[in-house]
Amino acid sequence: MEPIISLHDVSISYKRSGNVFRHRRYYEALKSVTFDIFQGETLGILGRNGSGKSTLLRVISGIIRPDKGKIINRGVSVSLLALQAGFDPNLSGRDNAILGGMLQGYSRKEVESRLGEIQEYSELGDFFDEPVRTYSTGMRARLGFSISTMVIPDVLLIDEVLSVGDVEFRKKAERTMISKIQSQQTVILVTHSLHQISHLCDRVVLLENGTSICSDNIQDAISYYKQMK
Amino acid sequence: MSVTGKTPNTLSTPPTPTDPTALPPLEQAFEWPKEAMRAKKWSEAACRWAILRKAYPGHPAPWFQGAIAHMEAGELDQADQLLIHCRKQFPSHPNSAIQSASFAIYRGDWQTAEEYLKQAREEYPEHVQTWLKSAQAAELRGDHLLADQYYRKAQECDPDRPISYIQHAEQAMRAEQWEIALERWEVVRERFPDVPAGYHRAAEAARMLNRTRYARKLLLAHQYGNEILLDSDETGLTENTPKRQLTGKRFGQFLSLIWTKARFNLRSEVQRNYLSYGWWILEPMLHMIVYYLVFGFLLNHGGKDYPIFLLTGLIPWMWFSKAISGSSNSILAGQDLMLQAGIHSLFFPLVSLLQATIKQIPVFLLLFGFLWLFGYQPDEHWLALLPVILVQAILIVAVGCGVAAIIPFSRDLSYLVPTGLMFLMFMSGIFYDYRNISDNWQELFLLNPLAFLLKSYREILMENIWPDFHTLGLWGTVSFLVCIQLLLAYRRLRYIYPRIVLQ
Repeated sequence: MEPIISLHDVSISYKRSGNVFRHRRYYEALKSVTFDIFQGETLGILGRNGSGKSTLLRVISGIIRPDKGKIINRGVSVSLLALQAGFDPNLSGRDNAILGGMLQGYSRKEVESRLGEIQEYSELGDFFDEPVRTYSTGMRARLGFSISTMVIPDVLLIDEVLSVGDVEFRKKAERTMISKIQSQQTVILVTHSLHQISHLCDRVVLLENGTSICSDNIQDAISYYKQMK
Repeated sequence: MSVTGKTPNTLSTPPTPTDPTALPPLEQAFEWPKEAMRAKKWSEAACRWAILRKAYPGHPAPWFQGAIAHMEAGELDQADQLLIHCRKQFPSHPNSAIQSASFAIYRGDWQTAEEYLKQAREEYPEHVQTWLKSAQAAELRGDHLLADQYYRKAQECDPDRPISYIQHAEQAMRAEQWEIALERWEVVRERFPDVPAGYHRAAEAARMLNRTRYARKLLLAHQYGNEILLDSDETGLTENTPKRQLTGKRFGQFLSLIWTKARFNLRSEVQRNYLSYGWWILEPMLHMIVYYLVFGFLLNHGGKDYPIFLLTGLIPWMWFSKAISGSSNSILAGQDLMLQAGIHSLFFPLVSLLQATIKQIPVFLLLFGFLWLFGYQPDEHWLALLPVILVQAILIVAVGCGVAAIIPFSRDLSYLVPTGLMFLMFMSGIFYDYRNISDNWQELFLLNPLAFLLKSYREILMENIWPDFHTLGLWGTVSFLVCIQLLLAYRRLRYIYPRIVLQ
């Protein structure tokens, strides 16, 4: 089977510091990372904070390009599940939903036709028309997640979102996410929860200090990850 | 306390309810040894049952359960003695036959076991344990077909409890018939969705068949409900979900997104203030009053028309100035959207510029109102306002997007923007007429496009003459070409900005 996205020796460095008085220094967020992504799989990316997970997601989603190496996307749409991205606290839940949907690439009409669905899923009731600044954290999370449920790219990137809102809603959100993951949707799940990896993923890529170790056997990867500590 | 197989010969009198040493209710008391049995501490359990036999000598459970505990602990003699007693004291209790069979099975005495089981099947065919034990015996003897039949009998006997279904599935697991096991576990899940074994053991069977994905689904289904199993592996996207638009419509959507975002930003802005939309008018009015006080009143500049002179310069200037200062940091401010939603960097300055422009519409209307109040009548020359406003708009886009494009590369420059704007403000002839400066400098002064535009506004609105269309066209063309250049630059910088804003 041909991969839908391939990464070959991808390296990214960021400028760390530097001004008139200090020399520039760079640090490598990713060091020759190589792996393939296949249609329909759930690929876990496991790594600690600062191991380059977010950078890797940005490369896969095509937001940034590698300094060295290359990424080949064979014509699939990729998008990051961005909860609460671009939320304006002064706008109502409804307006934020319209904006959120449009930011994810849908036309205003398409979003408006699904507002009812979003309102219902978020369980916000009349609060849907109140400014978001009056919401509790849980309500915000609910709205954010509800908006994001309408996004269906070919490849969905999820960055630690399976823990949103209050307990009741979390269960529902997880269920939605999981049925997405379990369907033919290609999903890349970034997490540091070993539990989620072993429960959800077909394969796993370990990231440590910007280098990658790819594994088809999740249990091996998990025990290796534990050893790295 | 030591455990003996000896049984008490006398029945103690049951305690009266008023007795302070009254025994606890049966269920509560029996929970004590059952707890040990669940923990598989068989000797401990046998001990506890022995104590309860003394307390409740007429109740069969401590006798039978004690026998089971002894058997599991490997204390066969004690188990045997208890069972002998059971058969005597509770001859018509189904467990007398069933547990005796169990004991015989344990010892590998198939013939005795079968005798007891036959008796049980004849006398207690309604008892689920009869069939389960018979099935167990058959299975141990290797007769899987018969075992299968007995398990089905057990299920008929007691369809509301999961035990017979679970054991039936376990039979297939033991026989390593994974496909059959999966089917049987499915029955368990259908009938008893809350029983964990239906998911966990089924997942094990699936794993043995190398169906890891299905195994995972089974485990998730236990956590999140059976619906997860319903989505077949084959179905792709849900049909009613709109797919993302392809390139053709993207540009239109991009514009629509800019428009919506700008309007929503304005809505958000006015939400914060008590006077809301009032500020759009009040702010330029206050500016005008300040400038009028300083230049018109204190410095005794201009004449009775000075407020109009000020406004015709101030209002177009404020449009420019607010648009530029608003957009200068817009790319840096938009980093969340750029990084999370992959929004094109050109989006951010354009939204700011549009936002500032929409706010100027009522202000321009105010300007026309003042002109009317001061007795300036519109005539055909006012038509020239359209190209002047258009050229200013293009100029604003060029300068705004240009400044916004540079600042992420060198954030220090953002400190220069207010200073630069102030310099430009004084160099554009807002408070004074360009004709008051010396002739040598006038031409140079008008090379500033804003000075030229303000001059054009005043020519049209106050002097009722045509502006210099030639120069206007020139500035329009130059600004337009700059816009095209910037568009290309933004395209090239598309992947650069997300990295720059991170640094």
